[in-house]
Amino acid sequence: MHFTPLPYLDPGSGSFLIQLLIAALLGLGVALRASWGRIKGWFGVKSQPKADDDDDEPETK
Amino acid sequence: MTSQKQNSSQLASSFRDPSGFLFSRDGVLYRQVNHKYEQEYARLMESGLYDKLVKARLLIPHVEVEQTPAEVELAHKIIRPERVPFISYPYEWSFGQLKDAALATLSIQRRALKAGMSLKDASAYNIQFMRGKATLIDTLSFEIYKEGQPWVAYRQFCQHFLAPLALMALRDVRLSQLLRVYIDGVPLDLASELLPQKTRFNFGLLTHIHLHAGAQKRYSGAEVKSRAASMSQQAMTGLIDSLDSTVRKLEWKPGGTEWGNYYDITNYSDAAFEHKKHLVREWSGRLKPSLVWDLGANNGVFSRVAGQVGALVVSSDIDPTAVEQNYRQVKDEKTESLLPLLIDLTNPSPSIGWANAERDSFGTRGPANMVLALALIHHLAISNNVPLLQVADFFSKIGKWLVIEFVPKMDSQVQKLLVSREDIFPNYTREGFEAAFCQRFRIAEAVNVRESQRVLYLMESLARPSDH
Repeated sequence: MHFTPLPYLDPGSGSFLIQLLIAALLGLGVALRASWGRIKGWFGVKSQPKADDDDDEPETK
Repeated sequence: MTSQKQNSSQLASSFRDPSGFLFSRDGVLYRQVNHKYEQEYARLMESGLYDKLVKARLLIPHVEVEQTPAEVELAHKIIRPERVPFISYPYEWSFGQLKDAALATLSIQRRALKAGMSLKDASAYNIQFMRGKATLIDTLSFEIYKEGQPWVAYRQFCQHFLAPLALMALRDVRLSQLLRVYIDGVPLDLASELLPQKTRFNFGLLTHIHLHAGAQKRYSGAEVKSRAASMSQQAMTGLIDSLDSTVRKLEWKPGGTEWGNYYDITNYSDAAFEHKKHLVREWSGRLKPSLVWDLGANNGVFSRVAGQVGALVVSSDIDPTAVEQNYRQVKDEKTESLLPLLIDLTNPSPSIGWANAERDSFGTRGPANMVLALALIHHLAISNNVPLLQVADFFSKIGKWLVIEFVPKMDSQVQKLLVSREDIFPNYTREGFEAAFCQRFRIAEAVNVRESQRVLYLMESLARPSDH
């Protein structure tokens, strides 16, 4: 797989580091939400199907 | 995407990305895809991502063409993107327009990730409003996503979108004008300083603006070890979701400002209003313009009338409230042929960026086939002291046909402007107006507006077509 090691725009060291930190935290949230859905599933609670991104409407109301 | 300078020339705004560039040849705009970008381009086209994005009207459609490349040694392919009928810039957008552009960018990034790609930039200048919808116009913005890789465009997204939106929503809507000074988006330390303290209790703004700004300062120039800089796809999803919800929660409601309720406080009757509409409809129907500039359009009532003939109408006003209302109506009614923009005619957008050539000034993004200047002349000639001949001169250069309303001095709207100042405008009369405009225009028609003292003119510019 091709991977550009250096982007053509400087992403900024600080921006990179804070992003890793924030994303790690937020990724945990995503994981927790997913497993919470599974736990609820064991008890027969159906979670709301998340709207697929392919149909989402990015515009504000 | 607007200027065509020589027979085949690279566009001044298209130099940063080595993946390719835009050039124009014989008035047609092409994009060269360089060898360097071969794999990424193939992935975009073959993974189905291109089709999905184009179908959702999130990406500009293009066709591959047989054209001699502008830079032969570098060229992989030449593509011809659909033409954007009018280029606008983020500092000319209302709050809702910038917000929709931000959400479109995130939506594209989500879809790209599903196809194993990622946006390598998140510049607000890569978004344009096409048929009323925020659309990415840079086909070469995608890179191949490798799990573990952080989002390289994160900083740019925060500077181009999140920071100005937060400032507009939570401090003052006029701060969108910072984008005119800072071409790569609002510096995050500045945004952090200007935002109210309470924003530190908003998780999204705390992290993506305040802590982000702090980290930039602290780790500026530090080396990031590539092994340490690893981020799971789940973390990437979390990041994009968080940016999305932070942007969505930012709201700005157009309140009553300068012209917010203009049509409720006008001094003329329904008959006069309808007569004006009738004349605009008749003249635009006769001249069938393809591009109309409505200057001082307020919330776009007359723009909509002119747009009925199928023209794209750039509907500009100085008041953020009017522009926001106009844009909301465009969305509600799914109008495809109207572009509301925030333009101060007494100081229209200049050309900015490297060599003053990256972003075009407002005046050079024409010419329009028809310019509407309704209930505007007194603001230019009296509030802003511009001599009538200079007003005529400017208008004659930006469009071929001009529909202009003369508002006489005894009109109560003009009297209001004169109430607190000396009347230094002896030439501001119908005769003085016609004398000045006759030097730059041929007056085709002059009609007294019913039940009012105002006059509506249809004029043809005498400027040579090359000046247009």
